[in-house]
Amino acid sequence: MSAAPQNAAPASQTASSKVLSSPVLRFLARRLLYTAVVLLGVMVVVFALVQLVPGDPIRIALGTRYTPETYAALQAASGLDRPLPVQFFSYIGSALTGDLGVSFRNGAPVTLLLLERLPATLTLALGGLVVALLIAIPLGTLAALKEGGWADGVVRVLSQIGVSVPDFWMGMLLITLFSTVLGWLPSAGYTPFTQDPAGWLSHLLLPAVTVGLVSGAIMTRYVRAAVLDVAHAGVIRTARSKGLRRAVVLGRHLGRNALVPVLTIAGIQLATLLGGVIVVEVVFAWPGLGRMMFDAVSSRDYPVIQGAVLLIAVIFLLINLIVDLLYAIVDPRIRLA
Amino acid sequence: MRKHRQRRNRLARTLVAAASAVSLSLLAGCVGEGVDLGPASSDRLVRAAIGGAPDQLDPHQTSSYFSFQVLENVYDTLVEPDENLQMQPALAESWDISEDQLTWTFHLREGVTFHDGSDFTAEDVVYSYTRIIDEELANAWRLATVEEVTATGEYTVEIGVSQPTPNLLTAIGGFKGMAIVSEDNAESGDIAQHPIGTGPFSFRDSRDGDYIWLESNPDYWGGAPAVDGVQFSYISEPTTAIAALRSGEVDWTDSVPPQQVEALSRDQAIALDTLVSTDYWYLAMNQDREPWSDERVRQAVAYAVDRDSIAQVVGYGTAVVNQLAIPETSPWYAAYDRYSLDPGQAQELMDEAGVSEASMDLMVSTDYPETVTAAQVIADNLAAIGIDVSIRTLDMATWLDDQDQGEFDALIMGWLGNLDPDDYYYAQHHSEGPSNAQGYANPDVDELLDAGRQELDEDRRRELYAEAATLIADDVSYLYLYNPSVIQAHAQRLTGYEMRSDRAVRFRDVNLEEDA
Repeated sequence: MSAAPQNAAPASQTASSKVLSSPVLRFLARRLLYTAVVLLGVMVVVFALVQLVPGDPIRIALGTRYTPETYAALQAASGLDRPLPVQFFSYIGSALTGDLGVSFRNGAPVTLLLLERLPATLTLALGGLVVALLIAIPLGTLAALKEGGWADGVVRVLSQIGVSVPDFWMGMLLITLFSTVLGWLPSAGYTPFTQDPAGWLSHLLLPAVTVGLVSGAIMTRYVRAAVLDVAHAGVIRTARSKGLRRAVVLGRHLGRNALVPVLTIAGIQLATLLGGVIVVEVVFAWPGLGRMMFDAVSSRDYPVIQGAVLLIAVIFLLINLIVDLLYAIVDPRIRLA
Repeated sequence: MRKHRQRRNRLARTLVAAASAVSLSLLAGCVGEGVDLGPASSDRLVRAAIGGAPDQLDPHQTSSYFSFQVLENVYDTLVEPDENLQMQPALAESWDISEDQLTWTFHLREGVTFHDGSDFTAEDVVYSYTRIIDEELANAWRLATVEEVTATGEYTVEIGVSQPTPNLLTAIGGFKGMAIVSEDNAESGDIAQHPIGTGPFSFRDSRDGDYIWLESNPDYWGGAPAVDGVQFSYISEPTTAIAALRSGEVDWTDSVPPQQVEALSRDQAIALDTLVSTDYWYLAMNQDREPWSDERVRQAVAYAVDRDSIAQVVGYGTAVVNQLAIPETSPWYAAYDRYSLDPGQAQELMDEAGVSEASMDLMVSTDYPETVTAAQVIADNLAAIGIDVSIRTLDMATWLDDQDQGEFDALIMGWLGNLDPDDYYYAQHHSEGPSNAQGYANPDVDELLDAGRQELDEDRRRELYAEAATLIADDVSYLYLYNPSVIQAHAQRLTGYEMRSDRAVRFRDVNLEEDA
């Protein structure tokens, strides 16, 4: 046992020199640095923005009637009586250690509140993305392969409808049909997977379909365009002329090449969904980040707004990073230089 | 071939990477979740859908109605309003007032315990009121005349006041913001998330943004509730709440928009009730600005506004027009009907004031959509007498800011849960009143309101306020519009529920019948 650290030292030195030489890790290091700078920027901007928005959190918390002493007491308790620069630097300082402060509304640690909401948001975002991909990939490919044909026309009209339909209305329609009329699915609420997998799925279906229909309609267009781009490029003709079977051409050549732009848009869609789908969350009483932010903004709960925006920024940057890495895997021509 | 295999490997790796990302997220989703099966596993549980999440559960700190819907069932006050809004014994069984009217003695109920098993005594009352006063908590203003609170026995509390305080009972018992809390619970800070009271239900569990689960208190002094508990879930979209009620997912909701009342009342499985509330909605004009400083202009507006139309568009027949604050169901009601829709009279008053045209910056809030709707009717009404209304729609936070800074010609807002006239007349219409944003000052009104504060004879007090209210309406300090209705719906299998005009939601006497 005692020998291990001694052996480990030179090994780690080798590893670190290897780190710098590995393009993937160099890429990662650079991107992480870039991420940190962006996050700092996000913090500055969000902090400034919440201060600029009119509306006093203390005033809202106290309701219609209070004494000046009550106001002063709550202001001191929330730390809002300190000068702005002091508030800012103490916020950044604690944020660096993972402490995002406490909610003005109930004194609960913001980090904890965010973690409590994250599961529901992840569930809905991923569920929505799955539905969207299930719609977009077959329909988009079909439309592209039958470019100009009736199938293409139908898909394009459907996707236009999907993009135009308000998700609010779509959610209401689904609730009326599947909850009120048929009684198959619950209309509202959320059940954690760990508590009851069947309940989790039944609660997830309607909101995920609502989110996925809109998102899928957008992605169908991208898939169609991406497949068309590749189909028009020489690669397909070359592959076909080499005598490869149609399925092989579709799967390996067309699919792989079309995957890059689709990955990008899927990544952006996922990040957007994780940022909270406020309307869908409201319609289905889904306890996610979107509703939390909405409530926080109404009550000017600065720490919660700041924490939530920061979390969403982190998620957004992380997904972009993963998408960039996936590019290189999907398309070897793209280098992480 | 070899190249193809490599490619396949790479694609496989992509899929593995994607799959592990997904499963990682799912795993993250599971972190922090207990294995508790949750409240839904009991069929003797009342499932109530309320319109939003409580901000916190400390009754002394919150001002959120959603919090009080829950806390009404967790806490007790010394006295509490009955269905006619008269104060009745609760944690205090009786009380006496000294000759000089400056000392109130409360005799407390014995044998009451908090949900954690500790005994309720006079010390808890002293602690609760002292906490509100000393820490300057949200409701400190209600105890403005209270000088000292002392325990003179294990079950006796004396409250000393600086001047006769006829509304002391309303102040300490009007709502659960004046609840008797547990010192340990409050001092530890747990009270904001896990409140411990003496009420019919105890806090069991909650999930942020999702629900609060209360369990029946078998030792409740008023008798153990017949149901196992209550789950409050937050459904802010009324259409969803009603769908959930219809499909049997919830048993009770107050997320019922007035326009749904008629359709819902035809549903046999649902019991729907409306009851005119003690809330009121009003228009106030800024008397520090021209031409609204002229009472003739304000009176012209009062004659030009069509209250019936407003009540119809905001309430679909459930709102009741009123020219004073309080509806007939309140013991403080006074009759008054000076203003009727009369554009001729309105025009005459405008001419008298020498105002041929004016523009009105009317401030309303999206947080209360009824203000926006009412403003549209009012804008239309006032155009007829040469007043050009521009409606400014703000969120509540900004609205409050502008109100405090006097940045408005006129505003529409409501005053909710009104019990004692001192609360809603003094604050809004006394020249020193803290909520007198419209800048109203009438020495006669001040005198009446000052007298009302100290008059212990109830009949005499009622006369004082009726007189003050008449002057307030004559001068159009507020242009009172209507009293909305409390609208609540519940499944037929939920029995014993009584709707209240002060919007307190009490589940202690309900039962759930077996499904028919």
